[in-house]
Amino acid sequence: MSTITQPTPTAARRQQNGLTSQQIRAGIGGVIAVGGLVLMVANQMNVIFLLVGLLLGLLVWKPFHGILVAYSIISVYPVLRIVSISLRPSTGLLSRSLDIIPAGATLQSYNNLFNEEPFLQWVWNSLSITVTVSIIGVAVAATGAYAFSRWRFFGRRPALIFLLTTQMIPAGMLVIPIFVIVAQLGLANQIIGLVLAYISTAVPFSIWILKGYYDTIPPDLEEAAMVDGCNRMEAFWRIILPLSTPALSIVFLFNFLAAWSEFIVAKVILTAQSVMTWPLGLNQLIGTFQTDWGKYAAGSVLVTVPVLLLFMWQSKYLISGLTLGSVKS
Amino acid sequence: MQGIGGLTGDIVLNTLGQIIPLIIGVVVGVVVLEFLLYNLLAKTLKVKNALAYTLLAPAAIAILAFMLYPLFFNVLLAFSDLKRTTFPCYSPIARGECQLDHLYGLDYAVKNFSDVFFRVRDGEIIGWGRLLRTADSTFPVLLGRTVLWTVVNVIFHFSGGLALALIMNQKIRFRGIYRALIVIPWALPGVITALTWKQEFHAEYGFVNTLLQGIGLQPVGWLRDATAAFVAVTFVNIWLGIPFYMVMLLGGLQSISAEYYEAAQMDGAGAWHRFRFITMPLLRPILIPAVTLDVIWTFNKLDLIVIMTGGGPEEKTNILVSALYNAAFGTAATQQLGFAAAFSIVIFFILFLFAIVWITTSGGLKEIYDR
Repeated sequence: MSTITQPTPTAARRQQNGLTSQQIRAGIGGVIAVGGLVLMVANQMNVIFLLVGLLLGLLVWKPFHGILVAYSIISVYPVLRIVSISLRPSTGLLSRSLDIIPAGATLQSYNNLFNEEPFLQWVWNSLSITVTVSIIGVAVAATGAYAFSRWRFFGRRPALIFLLTTQMIPAGMLVIPIFVIVAQLGLANQIIGLVLAYISTAVPFSIWILKGYYDTIPPDLEEAAMVDGCNRMEAFWRIILPLSTPALSIVFLFNFLAAWSEFIVAKVILTAQSVMTWPLGLNQLIGTFQTDWGKYAAGSVLVTVPVLLLFMWQSKYLISGLTLGSVKS
Repeated sequence: MQGIGGLTGDIVLNTLGQIIPLIIGVVVGVVVLEFLLYNLLAKTLKVKNALAYTLLAPAAIAILAFMLYPLFFNVLLAFSDLKRTTFPCYSPIARGECQLDHLYGLDYAVKNFSDVFFRVRDGEIIGWGRLLRTADSTFPVLLGRTVLWTVVNVIFHFSGGLALALIMNQKIRFRGIYRALIVIPWALPGVITALTWKQEFHAEYGFVNTLLQGIGLQPVGWLRDATAAFVAVTFVNIWLGIPFYMVMLLGGLQSISAEYYEAAQMDGAGAWHRFRFITMPLLRPILIPAVTLDVIWTFNKLDLIVIMTGGGPEEKTNILVSALYNAAFGTAATQQLGFAAAFSIVIFFILFLFAIVWITTSGGLKEIYDR
């Protein structure tokens, strides 16, 4: 031992035995994994035994990795299974197999989805509602949040607390009056009815996020611009808004994601086939389990992939978004 | 069916014809409104902070029109006898036969609110109010189930998320990959989660029972049995909530300087003491708002229960908010919007009371309010 640090007593004891605890655990883990392999062979090549053996072995060998791998499987397996079911041939739809890639994988379900269901129409309806809500939400919130961030006006604190309280309102408390109002205005089964309903929740949330972001931009920036002859609005337009692009896009995305998969309000306001959004359409497919399981899965994959991609794109924005200190350069 | 996937040029043009004018109208409206208002406030009235009020105006109008007005209207509805059969009375467009002599009144409010709590016959209280169709759906039963649902979920969310965050905060390889995989349930659209799990808990075709049988256990009739259905829904909501805590707490853990731990180790503090006296206190600013939000979200978790079980079987997986949804929009027999409006106000006050007590005792949202 050339190092200065003293080995702890337990480590010293282990070294006398000639094995570290790490090696002992690796050995036991290996035995468990082999045991899984043996059980698999003994049970008509049932892969579950091998997988459980491998996982238990890993848990013994490297407990942290074991737990994380186990939890990752719990997180991802149900999602992979949607993909798997969407690839099943129609004869094997109700198969009880747990395989990720089904026997005789085919894109038949996707084909059926497009030919037998107005799937694109659902997606189009969702898309137009979602984009409209996101644009209006950002446009309305951008200036309001700026006022909250830069001025100490009368009623500011109660207003901010109210905005936070809106997060607490049960969906039912807004759905009931909105349902009645929309019906009274004759906007039931109209895309605009749903847009107006979604704006009610999008705006307070957007203001809250944007205000938090504006707070991190030093007021020196605008003051410097105003010394150079800009007025306040020009400074906001030319300096604050461009700097806030990351926050604006995050708010846009949050509003987008919230409206994209909203179910309850849509179900209450939209009943006609022609205006259905995809959550309603897929819910309808689930109603008849036997025939439409594959089409449901195919549709789910198609609407989920863009959302997952957006999530990744957004996290990139989050990192690049912190462009503080630009006042010096 | 015309066009692929039911999408035709007509439909596209029709939709665009609705939304493009709406977007342009809102944007132009905002600009014109701000211009006029600023001139009025700053130049004519010479109000202090005129620009601030001008900038606030569009958002204020949107919140007034789409948030405060519906909330006010909801209170008004609690003073009404609105239900499926009386709908024409309250809707100017669908006007028809109306047998009510007055639309709004205190008598309706008394009836709506007392219906939430009591069942009255011949002026005497004969028991708890029946909120839905089965005799079990009374206020105390639903409140109890909601509290159980919230407590169980939040405890599992918190402990699961904390355990994962603590592990991920070690020097561990593949951290980025684990993180990306574990966050997936959170990124998934809620409807897909609910619909998919509903199928996976199917007694015959779902993978949950297949797995149970694979390891030699009896299959369970998950969504047919009341207790099993509640367990299933709770499991899914736990699965959904853990990633949120993991991300929040991992961020918190990574911001704790290693020097604290080194100093504590020098003083001979064991792992538990370091966790108890360094990690937990320093996580508090993140933990308290996270728990507060989680309690509110879980208490209000409506779509998962409505989609997975619809509150059934026998209305035994309903929590307060799903019972509210079923009372308002369930089958026509229970579609009583006036009563549901009163019920929703009661639910809101329960949550509001909790929030006040919790926030004042924990001081959790202080830094948010003070910002």
